[in-house]
Amino acid sequence: MSDLTTLGKLEIEPTFTTPKITFDPDARRFVLEGNSYPENSLKFYGPVLEWLKRFIERHTPSPEPLVFEVRLEYFNTSTAKVLLDLFRNFEVLQEKGQPVQIRWIFLEEDTEMEDAGLDYQAAVKVPFELVAINEGQT
Amino acid sequence: MTVSSEYRVLYHHEGPLDMEVLPLIVRDLDKLLATESIRPPLRRKIVSSLIELAQNIIRYAVQSEAHPPSLLITRTDKGITLAARNLVYYSQEIFLQSYLQSLTQLSRPELEALHHNTLTTGSFSDSGGANLGLVEVLFKCDEFSYELTPVDELHTWFTVKASFFLQNYE
Repeated sequence: MSDLTTLGKLEIEPTFTTPKITFDPDARRFVLEGNSYPENSLKFYGPVLEWLKRFIERHTPSPEPLVFEVRLEYFNTSTAKVLLDLFRNFEVLQEKGQPVQIRWIFLEEDTEMEDAGLDYQAAVKVPFELVAINEGQT
Repeated sequence: MTVSSEYRVLYHHEGPLDMEVLPLIVRDLDKLLATESIRPPLRRKIVSSLIELAQNIIRYAVQSEAHPPSLLITRTDKGITLAARNLVYYSQEIFLQSYLQSLTQLSRPELEALHHNTLTTGSFSDSGGANLGLVEVLFKCDEFSYELTPVDELHTWFTVKASFFLQNYE
């Protein structure tokens, strides 16, 4: 059994104010989707960041990339700060030799969300792809 | 010649505001703006600004049954205005006055730099906020104003108005 499966999958169900989180090491796919405006983002994302830290400690790099997909509707400024922390963790993974890719998914006509993605793309040092989709597209 | 400008109240909430109520307001406002044919980029700016202002109220406003907070969204031919009003202690007035004066004097590039620096290097408040709410609103809207109006010896109404011009999103 690999270290990845030992840690297990992280799954958090969505609420009106917090996103659905599925970090699946076996599928090499980490997904964050929905709304994110918890009253206290540190409290909500604390366990997520802790999980990611433990994952990084145990992870053995492999050639296949780990993909982090972010598909948000509304998010508040404290989430915006936490997102950067999450992205920084993927930088650490990359520094450890693990290829990573961040995919920022937004509705095609939502230029506001596209701009937010462009800001992050400029701020982080990992491959960061902006993916425009149409409404209803998954 | 007088140009008429139709004024309509799109949404008004007056009463207790917490994290149970806020998602309902967000959902209703998002739907309402869609039926008003407000395009997604502007819709996102308005709703995101409302979230920041409402969460500031939830975190920092003085709780008072006699003077509950309010959120008012109005529309004219020119655009949409979001007004958030809540009670603060008179003692907070000086801080708010100087903080907002300094923010509103910043040029667009200075505001962008402050936004970027707070996002990348700033710390969280004790209540888990990013200390960016008003900066974010100022950053997103086309016109910003605020008022501090005394209520009694101890309290002051704090009102923030953020306007979004439709012509910028046509």
